[in-house]
Amino acid sequence: MAHSTFYLGMIPLYPLLGAVCIGLLHIFTCRRCRLPQLVYGLLACVGPALSFFLALRVFFELQALPLESRFFSYKAFTWFSVGDLHLNMGFLADPLSSLMLLFVTFIGTLIHVYSIGYMDGDKTYGKFFAYMNLFLGSMLILVLADSPVVMFIGWEGVGLCSYLLISYYNEDSENVLAGNKAFIVNRIGDLGFVLGMGFLFWAIGSHGFDFLSLKANAHLMTESTILIVCLLLFIGATGKSAQIPLYVWLPDAMAGPTPVSALIHAATMVTAGVYMVARFSFLYVEVASASMVVAWVGILTALLAAVFGMFQDDIKKILAYSTVSQLGYMFAGVGVTAYSAGIFHVFTHAFFKALLFLGAGAVIYALHHQQNIWKMGGLKKKMPITYWTMLVGALALAGCPPFAGFFSKDEILYSALANGHFFIWLIGVLVAAMTAYYTFRMIFVVFHGEPRDQHAYEHAHEAPLVMTIPLIILAIGAVIAGFYNFPAIFGGEQMISHWLAPSVADQHPHGSFLLEFFVIATSVAAFAFGVWVAYKRFGKGAEEPVFTGFASFAFHKFYVDELYNAVFVQPYKVIGTAISDEVEPNMTDAPVTSASRLYMRVGNLVKIFQSGYVRTYAIYMVLGLGIMSLILSQSLN
Amino acid sequence: MTNDFILFFPVVLVSLGAIGLMLAGTCRCFRLEHAAWASGGLFGLAFLVQLSATLACDHSLYNSLFKDILVVSPFSKAAGLVILGCGLFSVCSSISYFKRNNFSGVEYYSLLLFAAAGMLLLTMTRELVTAFIALEIMSLAIYVLVGYDRDNVLSTEAVMKYLVLGAFGGAFFAMGGAFIFGAVGSTKFHLIGNFVATNGFSASPALLAGGFFIMVTLFFKAAAFPFHAWVLDVYDGASMPITGFMATALKTAIFAVFANFLLADAALQQGWVNVLFYIAILSMFMGNFIAIGQNSLKRMLAASGIVHSGYLLIGLVALGSQQQIPGSVIAYYLAAYAAGTLGIFSALSFLSGKGEQWKNFNDFKGLAKTNPYTAFAISIFLLSMAGIPPTAGFMGKLYIIIAAIKAGHVSLAVLGIVSSIIAMWYYLRLIVLMYFHEAERSFVEEYPCRVGMVSTFVLVLCVFAISLYPIAL
Repeated sequence: MAHSTFYLGMIPLYPLLGAVCIGLLHIFTCRRCRLPQLVYGLLACVGPALSFFLALRVFFELQALPLESRFFSYKAFTWFSVGDLHLNMGFLADPLSSLMLLFVTFIGTLIHVYSIGYMDGDKTYGKFFAYMNLFLGSMLILVLADSPVVMFIGWEGVGLCSYLLISYYNEDSENVLAGNKAFIVNRIGDLGFVLGMGFLFWAIGSHGFDFLSLKANAHLMTESTILIVCLLLFIGATGKSAQIPLYVWLPDAMAGPTPVSALIHAATMVTAGVYMVARFSFLYVEVASASMVVAWVGILTALLAAVFGMFQDDIKKILAYSTVSQLGYMFAGVGVTAYSAGIFHVFTHAFFKALLFLGAGAVIYALHHQQNIWKMGGLKKKMPITYWTMLVGALALAGCPPFAGFFSKDEILYSALANGHFFIWLIGVLVAAMTAYYTFRMIFVVFHGEPRDQHAYEHAHEAPLVMTIPLIILAIGAVIAGFYNFPAIFGGEQMISHWLAPSVADQHPHGSFLLEFFVIATSVAAFAFGVWVAYKRFGKGAEEPVFTGFASFAFHKFYVDELYNAVFVQPYKVIGTAISDEVEPNMTDAPVTSASRLYMRVGNLVKIFQSGYVRTYAIYMVLGLGIMSLILSQSLN
Repeated sequence: MTNDFILFFPVVLVSLGAIGLMLAGTCRCFRLEHAAWASGGLFGLAFLVQLSATLACDHSLYNSLFKDILVVSPFSKAAGLVILGCGLFSVCSSISYFKRNNFSGVEYYSLLLFAAAGMLLLTMTRELVTAFIALEIMSLAIYVLVGYDRDNVLSTEAVMKYLVLGAFGGAFFAMGGAFIFGAVGSTKFHLIGNFVATNGFSASPALLAGGFFIMVTLFFKAAAFPFHAWVLDVYDGASMPITGFMATALKTAIFAVFANFLLADAALQQGWVNVLFYIAILSMFMGNFIAIGQNSLKRMLAASGIVHSGYLLIGLVALGSQQQIPGSVIAYYLAAYAAGTLGIFSALSFLSGKGEQWKNFNDFKGLAKTNPYTAFAISIFLLSMAGIPPTAGFMGKLYIIIAAIKAGHVSLAVLGIVSSIIAMWYYLRLIVLMYFHEAERSFVEEYPCRVGMVSTFVLVLCVFAISLYPIAL
């Protein structure tokens, strides 16, 4: 029973309409009359809020349905129909997308509210909110899509908004370059996605190209085709979700305003890759090697980003690398076919990472756009709300029981070990310790000890209510989000795992009680160890360290950016310059210009015949007549 | 009978109006403005009557009334519509033109109506003598209109050339008619068609020669190669509104009679396909080459008229046996071409200043900076003539080319496309000058009259509206 529901289409429509309204309002008012900023801000919050209520409705309607038919779809219109390809602009709500919907709209709304305060005084206030709404609309299309192609619209839409918002402060060319980098790196991933879609269509597209038909017909494909499709799609995921080797854009993306980092580059867009892999879980479970690739890329990314995160000095960069690292966990989760664990981590991560970013935003806001942690210190007294909420976020991120991150991370590690991936689990535990270390390094340096920059410290103040209230709400979320999937070992119901079961091809680990206990014990130990080291080093205040050896190497991010620049960017530029300087003028332009020159010559030649004398014209007529009659008589004989 | 009358009413209206204006002109209190508005009103009224006749009357022939001499077909109705529309817009541009140039009289508008009457008759005629009379009614009025500015050397020279060469062409028509009558024993198209159908195309040398001579006249009037040479000098000498009227309405009438003549019998058309084929190609390419070399806008537009005649000849080549379809294609192209050409002449009528002092390409440098709307309108007209979507000109060319391909003349279609690419040269040249160059003179003089400007913008709408009008292919 798939009952059609019109309001499903309204969910992405509200933010998109909001984007259009705000955009037009901005265009028409930015020159002459300036509207009060609150008009834009409130207008921007309406769309996400409405979407959130509809998302709640979707959730409850789904809940009322029996387990085996827990989905409904809405077909807005037929997009196009060519040959075998019949595409509908359709939306699908199932447990997976409804869960994503809920937290995307919820956190999206909160961040919009927060932005009203954070963006205060910005010159192009309206533009910012138009982009934000556009982003949310695209993200919701991505989540609700009922076919890979519709998903791709959202996929590209969020990529575009990400680009626009990273380079939002476009007076500074560095920010624009960061936006370019994000966009170009994402394009490489998108190519993988498109190719994957192409292969998928080639293989089974003629039986229908929406997710439900694909799922039903997946068995028609050979294993090697599935492998190719899975790997290509995963390339797309590595681009969007910042995994090795395409993770390089995400740290640079911190050039955008902090709410953008929180919404797009932590909570929602970057998890699209994980979501996509979970969507295609029916393919990934078929081929173990594809899943292994996903898991290993994920866990190695987690390790690499954690190493980088330990040595950064920019508060947002630390959080950015931690995001990359956590995304790696998620992929490790979905890679060991524990899809619900991966998605659960997406869910909890959205809360605490958004919280941490917004908290960092509040700090940056208070210190007038100072982002270097070695210029901060002792802010605990000045900004108590920010401190306590961020501490909650940090505990959740570091995996302290009973905060949200603990449950989801533990679920992933347990699944890894129970499904027999010992090394992935081992690296996971190591990364957990490193996570705890760099998170608390940040907390200690920023909030504890003595202020390092006395002047900035004097002027620091707590953020306004419009910013702190979202912080508090998110902090509550970061505490309780984990309980939704309370592990069975503590007598929990694992609500999220059960909820997601109809959507994803989960392979539940069947480990012993002892094994699960062991995993939890090691996780907690790793957390404790990480925090302990951080406290030892930075708990009482510390000076800015000078990096040498490996630390310096890690501080410079293993020179990966420089490597990419030398291996890919520069040769590409050389080829481009050669084409524009040599090939284009000499090979493509030359025939065109010479052809036009030829026409001009002929034209000037023909002009001579326009002598202006009637007698000449009469002669032309007679001549023409003569020749024509000659030809005519010839053709008749 | 009532239907017959309605179908004939536009001709009656226009001719009576012409005579009435001529008579009213003797009265002192009847001034130039009155004549202008009266003729504009007559054109508008006749246009509406023609429109209602086109839309409502399915009753197509009044052969009982005129014994097959005048026949109305959907094609002739459409052509009549285009001619009357051209007349209306020419009157509008004349009004603004003569605010600055003071050589007009009441007779001017009367002559426009006379010319239109001749053209309307020409679209309906199915008989050679009537065709000749209609042709001369039209031509005599146009001769006078071309030379209306007696003090202008260029204008008098133009009428001289046109008259001499026109007489030359007219003689061919009379001669051809005589030959055909000698061969067939009748001057009615359908009887000629019957004769060809029973005896074959090349049965009688007299018929062949007669048909050839008549076609020469039509080529001459349509300014097809190699009878095109007059067109640059004459267009250059005539005043702007008249040039626009000649370029559009006259061409429409000539192609209407041309198509009607060829449609008399399929074999007749097939016999001439070869000649039409080469003339179409040569007209397109020679027209393009001539246009490239011109510095005067008017001369360029005249030369581009040769190119458009070439396209219309492609339509005639494709006419073939499927009578209805290419007929509508030709009518569509004529309408699309008329909108673009009239538009640009209408704009030039109020831009060219006193005595048409500004009519070269370089005079319009930087127009877009000072007169953005007018420059935009001119750009639309030029793009339409060049055949850029979504304008009417594009659709017209598209239909012509599709018709050529359907008739099996793929080479002609390809050459048509090549020619339209070459044509970009001189159309885009003006756009480049208007938009990407600094102004060398100031355009800030007051426009004497809003009528011409309004009609220009109405024509912009027409360009887009016509492009949306679907025709069956």
